[in-house]
Amino acid sequence: MPSTSSGRQQGATTGSVPALGGGRRQRRPGWLPHRKLGRPLLLPYLFVAPAVVFTALFSILPLVILFRRSFLAGGIFATHLSWVGLQNYTNTLSQGGGQALKVTAIFTVAFIVLTMGFGLGIALLLDMKLPGVKRLRAPFIIPLAMPSVATALIWATLFAPQIGLINRILSVLGIPQADFTSSPSLAMVMILSFGTWQFFGQNVILYLAALKNLPVEIMEQSSIDGAGAWQRFWHIRLPLLQRNTILILVITTLTGLQTFNQIYVLTNGGPNGATTTALFYVYNQGFVQFNTGQADAMAVILFLISLVITVGQVGILGRRAHREI
Amino acid sequence: MRSRALRPRTSTQLLVYGLLGLAVLIVVFPLVWMLGTAVKSNGQILDLNASLWPHPFEWGNIVKAWDSAPFGRWFLNSVIFGFGSTIGQIITSLLAGYAFAVFEFPGKRILFYAVLCGLMVPFSTVIVPVVQILGTLHWLNTYQGLLVPNLASALGAFLFRQFFQGLPPQLAEAARIDGASEFRIFLRVYVPLSRPIVAAFGMIAFLQNWNNFLFPLIVVNSTKMDVLSEGLSVFQGQFSTSYNLMMSAALIAILPILLVAVVAQRQIVEGITLGAIQ
Repeated sequence: MPSTSSGRQQGATTGSVPALGGGRRQRRPGWLPHRKLGRPLLLPYLFVAPAVVFTALFSILPLVILFRRSFLAGGIFATHLSWVGLQNYTNTLSQGGGQALKVTAIFTVAFIVLTMGFGLGIALLLDMKLPGVKRLRAPFIIPLAMPSVATALIWATLFAPQIGLINRILSVLGIPQADFTSSPSLAMVMILSFGTWQFFGQNVILYLAALKNLPVEIMEQSSIDGAGAWQRFWHIRLPLLQRNTILILVITTLTGLQTFNQIYVLTNGGPNGATTTALFYVYNQGFVQFNTGQADAMAVILFLISLVITVGQVGILGRRAHREI
Repeated sequence: MRSRALRPRTSTQLLVYGLLGLAVLIVVFPLVWMLGTAVKSNGQILDLNASLWPHPFEWGNIVKAWDSAPFGRWFLNSVIFGFGSTIGQIITSLLAGYAFAVFEFPGKRILFYAVLCGLMVPFSTVIVPVVQILGTLHWLNTYQGLLVPNLASALGAFLFRQFFQGLPPQLAEAARIDGASEFRIFLRVYVPLSRPIVAAFGMIAFLQNWNNFLFPLIVVNSTKMDVLSEGLSVFQGQFSTSYNLMMSAALIAILPILLVAVVAQRQIVEGITLGAIQ
């Protein structure tokens, strides 16, 4: 009995669903070894139970609570909650949340441009066939691997007033000293420069891997045809990298949206909310100001933005994969 | 023809090396600055006319920093949190990935999508309700509160599933004919084969857990329970004007991970590439 039902299900799965991983990896047709009778029925469930239970308890359940609580008023551990409709949302947007979304947009766009620009640039250089260049890849993973709270502390001393390195350089150049924590735009410059330093190595690695996967024949053919380096890059490599670029863009956007540590350490959201991103707003409202409703409303907005980006990526890449096949 | 096309001209070569050298310098310089500041005297740091090179080297600053905060305890907590979460994620992901790859069972697709939900819900967006759940369980400020929510990884389950799907099914047949149990086949045949991908995933998961700041920040709030990153930010609050001690503290936190990164750079690179799933 169990064998028939599971057999039917497998037939359905193989037939209709393109494998999730990019739609390219199809399940092999002969790959049906587990239909035999006498297999313990419970075993698969025991195998998946830990992952499913932990995900349900600490990802799905919190999400449900989050949505529900975003329409309720009450403290973080309150038991008496009252329905307030969209009031948490309107309060959030009028009390700093609107600005936080604007700050998030500015930070994230600049973060994307900087980390993807430098990432692709360095990857192109590392991809050149020159002796010793391969070894230079390793340093770029250092900032990624380090605890960002520790490296942010370095940034705090680099950008410190008067005795920090940046201000020393400025005074040598005869430029007036700058206080990076009390000027809104300079505070943004500080967290952006740190964020870029900290993360761009990841885009170096991802672009380098993508470049290594480009078909060699096309590159050689085009150079025989006399295409210049710039033309080859613009008309051949960049279009071939489009898929990877979309993927890297999504990862970078999500990373930018979730930036927290550097803001906590370097500016604490200030001055005057100038570096309070949506996530920092959630933290600040939730755990410093104890406005649980507003924190939840902003968290819902942040979740929906992330969801649109993730789903958009699956949509674009999925459709493309179909066309390629 | 071909070699000319692939080998750039000398001037281009110099430009490439120059740019890469500059980029490496920018990446490495802050760490050099940290080391330099850590061993300077307070007087030298505050003196605007003093040289940037430490003179004399005050290595004692590092000992002083270590002694002025419970770094030992913070390290212990980081080890418990970092290793515990990572080992948990590897085990739960291997089990789930394997079952999703090789078993057929009713409800498989729904359960798989449930696990994938973990990929769709950035942890940072649910920090408030997670604290509510942990509070209800009376798990705030405890090790189980730090560990249990971090024991599963959607990414890991997804990666391992893909890996096991790529293996030929004949692998298990011999063992199955010998009458080995399914769990034994998983443990003795499949898990050993997955060692490279476990190493790559484990490496990035470990770095992520070890460096995680936001989660411990909201779950624990006592010096006894803080992990290293939390401790550092507490340290920053107390010694915000002693740059040499602050940089010594950063050095203490960075050094072990720097060693890990040097030894395991190949796994880190692989893990980053794997992590960018399509």
